[in-house]
Amino acid sequence: MSNKPMIDRYKWYEVVGIYAGIALFLFFVLAPFIEGFMVSLKPLSALFSSPYSFWPKNGSLTAYFTMWESVPGFWRYIANSMFISSVATIVVLILVVPAAYAFARFPFPGRGALLGAFLAVNMFSGAVLLIPLFRLMRSLGLLNTYFAMIVPGVAFLIPTAIWLLRTYMMRIPRELDEAAWVDGASRLYTLRRVILPIAMPGIIVVAITTFIGAYAQQFIFALTFNSKTEFMPLPIGLFAYFGRQEVVWNELMAASFVGITPVLILIVFLQRYLVAGLTAGAVKQ
Amino acid sequence: MSELSLTQLRKSFGETEIIKGINLDVSEGEFVVFVGPSGCGKSTLLRMIAGLEDVSDGEIQIGGKVVNDLAPVKRGIAMVFQSYALYPHMTVFENIAFPLRVERLPNDEVNERVDRAAKVLQLDARLEQRPGTLSGGQRQRVAIGRAIVRQPRIFLFDEPLSNLDAALRSEMRIELMELHKKLGSTMIYVTHDQVEAMTMADKIVVMNTGVIEQIGSPLELYHKPDNRFVAGFIGSPKMNFINGTCTAADGKKITIDLGELGNVVLERNSTAQVGQRVTIGIRPEHLALNEGDFILNLVPRIVEHLGIHAIVYADQPDGEVFTGMFEGDPAVKEGTPVKIGFNAIDTHLFDADGMAVY
Ligand SMILES: Nc1ncnc2c1ncn2[C@@H]1O[C@H](COP(=O)(O)OP(=O)(O)OP(=O)(O)O)[C@@H](O)[C@H]1O
Ligand SMILES: [Mg+2]
Repeated sequence: MSNKPMIDRYKWYEVVGIYAGIALFLFFVLAPFIEGFMVSLKPLSALFSSPYSFWPKNGSLTAYFTMWESVPGFWRYIANSMFISSVATIVVLILVVPAAYAFARFPFPGRGALLGAFLAVNMFSGAVLLIPLFRLMRSLGLLNTYFAMIVPGVAFLIPTAIWLLRTYMMRIPRELDEAAWVDGASRLYTLRRVILPIAMPGIIVVAITTFIGAYAQQFIFALTFNSKTEFMPLPIGLFAYFGRQEVVWNELMAASFVGITPVLILIVFLQRYLVAGLTAGAVKQ
Repeated sequence: MSELSLTQLRKSFGETEIIKGINLDVSEGEFVVFVGPSGCGKSTLLRMIAGLEDVSDGEIQIGGKVVNDLAPVKRGIAMVFQSYALYPHMTVFENIAFPLRVERLPNDEVNERVDRAAKVLQLDARLEQRPGTLSGGQRQRVAIGRAIVRQPRIFLFDEPLSNLDAALRSEMRIELMELHKKLGSTMIYVTHDQVEAMTMADKIVVMNTGVIEQIGSPLELYHKPDNRFVAGFIGSPKMNFINGTCTAADGKKITIDLGELGNVVLERNSTAQVGQRVTIGIRPEHLALNEGDFILNLVPRIVEHLGIHAIVYADQPDGEVFTGMFEGDPAVKEGTPVKIGFNAIDTHLFDADGMAVY
């Protein structure tokens, strides 16, 4: 007999149903990845054979080696992507942590209006503002720089980050601020020594969503504001596999997987800091 | 010289006035308890003294200096919060050391002061633990430790024991009183538990809806309450009130008609109440069965036998509850009429406005 509490016990058919449901969703989410991975294993000639076979016949990892030869600068695109997203994330965090604290704690005139405005900005996708942004970048002479790919991204990522972190910080009992204040701590000291450590799980969540957001966003900004090969991020860099005559599908897929690996590793690493229950014992429940 | 003095202190949140003109003097080393029903403004008043709420009007002086616009640290106070307000990511040591770290004291001194506080509070063995792994009483002690290390002039406590269970609460009560003896500092303690107030205070301040109803020692409040509110608030079980009309007064004696319950005659030299509605008050513990200057015939509705005494609840003719407390195991049955007696000397008299008449 299982020693689970009653509330966690299920009949066998309920368990089957739950897993079937999970499998269905996972299939929809993962199918493109699976297919992509299969493609990366096949020789190019097998891709257009008919009948098309899902499982690779005489599959190999060759594409994972040849991809570096056909596009020698590929590592540079990965590095660019990581660089753009990392810098964007760091800038967002530096701006958002104090801002979220202020929005969570200080009642200042215009607070509600500002928060509302942030939400409104969020409703425009970056695409709507591309043309004005392009003109702005051009008149400032910032086209074809990292700056042009980072700063607009940061601007579009800040609102969500502020909302997320503000909500998290509002859950930290106000008495902690007050206790620190009574003990002589300044607002900044309190933020640094009390609020930041307690808000760390929230900050990690914001860091992850921001990083992913920056990663997904850079495509459109890079496409518009940048034409220099050496500054290309990964999503644009992948176009290099679109040859003159044909698309090297297997290498393209292999390159995609190689390109996202560093991000996966980073996220798995950050996830370990998402410990719950950090506020246990702060105040009487 | 008074350590703390409040003069015509007022506080409003928007339109609503919460603290309505408070005057109070606290001398050095006194243990003062603010007591009153929930929402009467005790916490607000304490937070004003601490410097967490600004003052709408009036003056706060600490050690003879006006501190209205000073930050909490500069006032020489330390506060223990209603919730413990411990820093969950720091060890007990760092929690207690926090105020000293803010001051940037050298490490040796921090260690020494924290160790001393930890000894006093019996936390020596817990210094490396996080607050989350402590029991309620231990957390409370950590919060007190954080206040002690600052060596403040005045300690402010906001209902520090309200979430502890009964046994732990009386234990902590005694610890706090011992701490007060040991440190000799001024303490201001907020509670809505009148037992805590009675047992701990040198001086009790009874508050109601933002005003002070009475200030006095516990026994003063018990024996000579100024008004009906204080009389009903101090003492447990609550004082009984019986409504009546003053029918005669000759400057020495005053006669009150209690309707179906009969007449009582009390020794008062006031004559102003003749013809007015008045209330008499008798504490449940001052009642006796079948003896006393006056006898009330009542039918017990519920009898609680607690061994050391029995508590009897009966209805007055007008529907108000009447409570009696009798020593031992008296022969009282639910539903069987009893004669409950009391003496004139134990009887309180309140006029139509609820003010005591002595
Ligand atoms: N920041 C605030 N804004 C508006 N009203 C407030 C604020 N703080 C307190 N009040 C009001 O002031 C009144 C007194 O509150 P306070 O916390 O001082 O009561 P209390 O006597 O400590 O009660 P309790 O025994 O329940 O702790 C309450 O009616 C409360 O609603
Ligand atoms: Mg309170």
